[in-house]
Amino acid sequence: MEKARLCFITGGVRSGKSGFAEKKALEYALQMNGQLHYLACGRVSDAEMGERILRHQKDRENSPIAWRTSEYATDITRIGADINQDSIILLDCLTTLLDNELFGPGIPLEKEFLHSVFIKILDGINEIRKQSSCLIIVSNELVQEPIFQNDFLHIYGKTLGLLHQAIVGQADEAYLVESGIPLVMKGCMQV
Amino acid sequence: MHFVTGGAYNGKTKWVKELYGLENKALWLSGYRKEQPEMFDFQGNTVILQGLDAWIQQDAETMDTDSIRIRWKEIMADWRIWEKERDENICIVIGSDISKGIVPMEARDRRWRDACGWVFQDVASLSTRVDIIWYGINQRIK
Repeated sequence: MEKARLCFITGGVRSGKSGFAEKKALEYALQMNGQLHYLACGRVSDAEMGERILRHQKDRENSPIAWRTSEYATDITRIGADINQDSIILLDCLTTLLDNELFGPGIPLEKEFLHSVFIKILDGINEIRKQSSCLIIVSNELVQEPIFQNDFLHIYGKTLGLLHQAIVGQADEAYLVESGIPLVMKGCMQV
Repeated sequence: MHFVTGGAYNGKTKWVKELYGLENKALWLSGYRKEQPEMFDFQGNTVILQGLDAWIQQDAETMDTDSIRIRWKEIMADWRIWEKERDENICIVIGSDISKGIVPMEARDRRWRDACGWVFQDVASLSTRVDIIWYGINQRIK
């Protein structure tokens, strides 16, 4: 079976990556006559987080094509029940998903568990791609600072870095958004 | 000389192996394994200095920034001499970029980060080719 198109978008906090991802999704929806589907991985943990989510929801309400939203903080394959082969899915965002999968179960962050989370997320992406027409993944750019002294940051940075490498490797398109400007790192820009 | 940089866990080593089709014939000297970045009896023509950031981290334990910079100018000068011995000789230097974060609390870590910045600039200026690796994708900047 042909797999859905994969698009990876990363950038710093408030870089405009979510806005660009939504624009990208809309462009695909118009091109492929697809339905827009938002896969929210965030949990409302405090008021600020709530506001952030609300603002993004408002943005999507103004979209010329309506968005459906599914909220799955872990086990993203559950979205399978909500989508079909025409779905264009925007996963926002990979770092929250990784946080939830790593810290949700309260399991010590040992090698085996980390690897199982890595595989689980990649398998989830693969599964969703078999059941949709396009998957856009938004993530946060890793900081480039001395992470090696701190075990926790080291483990987290390593897992996220390996996920980014694997996803960019499979992606049809990859973008790094800097101050609202998307830089094409792989594939071509059509917007 | 070819300098390869980018953030940690971005696939720099993998990219170098693929670009040069290396596995066997190259000499890998690793700062992470605390090996010395110096030539010894080696007949091949490709040397990879991996973990420039880690070597500099060790240096920063005991040396000031200027001394570290001078030390690495000397090391690189030796590798340049080796490169000139034969046309096929090439030295590839890999270093993780640690320059884009908040200022470290510890003076030693600030020294490490500063020295990395200076040495990376020096190595880049000596190199005929420089690439930044972003999750396995290279951006050639020189």
